[in-house]
Amino acid sequence: MRLVAVDPEASRAGLRIGQTLAVARAMLPELTAREIDRPLLEAGFADLADWHSNASPLVAVMTDWQAFGDLVLDITGVAHLFGGEGPMLRTLLTRLRELGYSVAGAIAPTIGAAWAVSHFARSQIVQNRDLAPILDSLPVAALRLDEKQIAGLSQMGLTSIGQLRERPRKPLQARFGLSLLLRLDQAYGIIQERMSPRLPPAEHYAERRFADPIGLMDDVLMACQDLAVRLAGMLEAEGQGGQAFHLFLYRVDHKVMSLSVNSARLTRDPHHITALFSHRAERLAGEYDAGFGIDMIRLAVSSVAPLDPVQLGTFSHGEAAEDLDQLNDRMTSRLGTMAVLKTELIASHIPERAARLAPALAAHHEPRQDWPRPLRPLRLLPVPEIVTINAEVPDGLPASMIWRRESYRIVKAAGPERLGAEWWRSGQRLQLVESDEDGEPASGEPLVPRVHVPDLAPFEADRALRDYYIVEDAHGHRFWVYRQGMHRPGEPARWYLHGFFS
Amino acid sequence: MPSSDRQQRLAALRDCIADIERKPALAQARVEVESRTGAFPQFGNGLLQEMFTDEPRNSGAVLGFALAQAKGLISTQRPALIYLQLADEGQKLGLPYGPGLLSFGLDPDRMVLVRVANMAEMLWAAEEALACRAVAAVVADIGSHSKLLDFTASRRLSMRSAATGGSIFLLRYGLGRQTSAAHLRWRLSPVPSAPPPYDSKAPGPPRWRAELERGTLIKHQASWLLGWTDDGFATFELERPIDDGLGGGAALPRAVPAQLADRLSQTA
Repeated sequence: MRLVAVDPEASRAGLRIGQTLAVARAMLPELTAREIDRPLLEAGFADLADWHSNASPLVAVMTDWQAFGDLVLDITGVAHLFGGEGPMLRTLLTRLRELGYSVAGAIAPTIGAAWAVSHFARSQIVQNRDLAPILDSLPVAALRLDEKQIAGLSQMGLTSIGQLRERPRKPLQARFGLSLLLRLDQAYGIIQERMSPRLPPAEHYAERRFADPIGLMDDVLMACQDLAVRLAGMLEAEGQGGQAFHLFLYRVDHKVMSLSVNSARLTRDPHHITALFSHRAERLAGEYDAGFGIDMIRLAVSSVAPLDPVQLGTFSHGEAAEDLDQLNDRMTSRLGTMAVLKTELIASHIPERAARLAPALAAHHEPRQDWPRPLRPLRLLPVPEIVTINAEVPDGLPASMIWRRESYRIVKAAGPERLGAEWWRSGQRLQLVESDEDGEPASGEPLVPRVHVPDLAPFEADRALRDYYIVEDAHGHRFWVYRQGMHRPGEPARWYLHGFFS
Repeated sequence: MPSSDRQQRLAALRDCIADIERKPALAQARVEVESRTGAFPQFGNGLLQEMFTDEPRNSGAVLGFALAQAKGLISTQRPALIYLQLADEGQKLGLPYGPGLLSFGLDPDRMVLVRVANMAEMLWAAEEALACRAVAAVVADIGSHSKLLDFTASRRLSMRSAATGGSIFLLRYGLGRQTSAAHLRWRLSPVPSAPPPYDSKAPGPPRWRAELERGTLIKHQASWLLGWTDDGFATFELERPIDDGLGGGAALPRAVPAQLADRLSQTA
C-alpha cells in the first residue's frame, strides 16, 4: 500500500506521494490514513470539470495518466473575455485557491507542454517561441511517461527532455516503444493531440449571469425564454436552425445541471424551444435541486444546419406536418422518448416482428413495398396469452376456447394460416468448435488448417411453426389464436391468443 | 300531461342552448340523419364521444368503431390520429397493430401512439393533442375508471374539442356510467359477422351494434346495426325491433344518471 495524496501537514513532516504506508507509519506513528475512493473522486472531479465550462466551452478531463486531477481547457478565442491570457489564468487559479484547493496551471500551445509546465514548473504562460527552451529544461517525467520508461531513461543518464531530444529516435523507439516518441512529439506540437470535451460542443449559445443567484424553476424558465429569443436572433442572422437544445444551469456550489430537448425538425422558434424546456422541467419534478442557487445559465444549440427563412402568414404552407412535429416534440419532452411512438413496418412474416414501435422523433419514413397483405387483427397482445382450445378433430378447426377463465363457443373459424419460423433467427449464439472428422494428415500432404464447424442444435421447423386461426364466437367476438408447433399424437397442443379483430 | 305545444317549446329551448354551447357539428349531423333515414351519419369535427363497451375483450370492436369514424375525419389539413393508452394496460387491451391497421384501411403512418404513465398525463396529452391543428382525432383508451376523469375533466375536453375542431373518442369499458360532458355516448357490442362470399364457416367483415345512450340524433332511433366495408360504414335493418326498453332515450336500465348528466351538461 502506498500513499497517493498527503495534506500540507504530512508533507511538512517529510512524507511524500509514492511512499509505502509502512514506511510512512514508521516515520510518523500518529499518521491518519484513509483508503482512497477513486469513483467518488472521479465523479466529484467531473462535476468540477463541468463547472469550468463557464470559462471555456471545451473542457475535458485528461484521463491517460490519472482518472482525475488534470483538467484541460481549450481557450482558443476565449481569453479576451477575461482580459487576456494572463488575467484569465490568474482568475481561474485564484478562484480555485480561494476554495481551498492547491492548484497549478499553465497556458501553452500544446496540451503536452501545458501539462509538463503545470506539473514541473511554476504556473506561467508559454508562448510559441519559448516552447522549446522551456520544455528542454524540464525532467523527462514531464512527458507523461510511465514509471518503467522513466527508470530506463534515468539509467541511460537522460534526465532532461532536451537531452532526450538530441538522441537518435530509432534506438529510443526500439527500447521504450512508440509511446515515448508520441509523447515527445505531442509536447512539441509536431503531432496534434486531441481532447474529448465532456459536454456536447455548442456551436451557438446565449448565456446570462445573475448578480443574485436564482433558485425557482419558474425563474429559470423565464430566463430561458429570454435566452431563446437571443439565440433565435443569432441563428436567424446566420440562416440556421437547430435540432438539439441544451440548458446548462451553473450552481453556486460548482455543479452543473443540464437539460436537453430535441426537436423533430430544424427550428429556431423561441416559443417552441421554451415550451419544450418547460415540459421537460415538469418531468424533472423531484430531481431538480438548485442547491444554494444558480448564478449562470446558458442555452446552447447543437445539430445546427441551414434553415431557410420562411414567409409567415397567408402564404405559409405545409403547416400540418410542422404542427404535428411540434406536438410530438412537446409530448416527448414531457412524457419521455419512449412514450411517443410510431409504427414502423418491417419485412417479416412473423406477426410480432412485422411492426416495430419506434420513438416518433426518430421514426424514418421508408417507401413501403407492396408485398401481399394478409388479414391481420386490429389489436395485438404484446405477449400472447395461453388459452385452452378443443377441436373436433385433432387437426381441425377450433370448436371451443377458454381464455381468462371464460369459455367461448366458437361458431366460425378460418384457417390455418401456417407461418414458419425464421430459421436464421434461432436466438442462439453461434459457437465454432473444431470438427473431429479429419484425422492426422498423411505424410507428404500439405498441412490444411483444421476446420471449425458451428455448434448449433438442429433447427426443428415442426416445433417452431405456428398455425393461425381467425375464430368468432356466438356473440361476435373475433380473436386471432395460434397453435404452436405441428400436431403430434400423444402431446397436448399448445394454443395462444395473439390478437383481437375489430 | 304536458301538452305537445309545451314539449315543442322545450325542444326549441334545448336546441337554443345547444347552439349557445357551440354544438354545430351535432346539429349538422342531426340534419343529415333526418335527410337520409337509417344511414349512419358522418360526424363533423369537434365532438367528444364516449364509446362504452361491456367487456375489455371487446377492445378490438370498440377501437374499430372509433377508427372507422376517425377515418372519415382525416383530411390533408388534419392528417394525424393520436392514440393514447396507459402504459400498463397494453397487455390487458392489446396495442394497435400496424399491419392490422392496414387491413382495416388505415395508414399506420398516420397514427402516433402515446403510452402515458398515469391518468393525469393522459388528460394532459389529450388536451395538448386536441389543440394541434393537424390532429383529426384523438382516441383515448381508458381501461379502468379513474377519479381524475370526472365531469370537470370531460367538460374541459369537450370545450377544447369544440374550440379547436379536433374530435376525441374516449373508449371506456364496463357497465358503470359516470357523469360526463360528452356530446354523444355510445354503447357498442360486436355482433356475428357477415358471411364472406366463399366460405360460410369463416368470419367475415366485422359488424357492430351501436346504441346511442346520450344525445339525440333522430327521434325513435337509438340503435344501428353497422358493418365496416372498404368504402365506409354500411347500415343494416335491425333483425327485430328493439323491444327490451332500449328504444329511444337511454338504453340502459340505469336511465337516471344518464339523463341527469344530460341536463347538467346543457346547463353547466
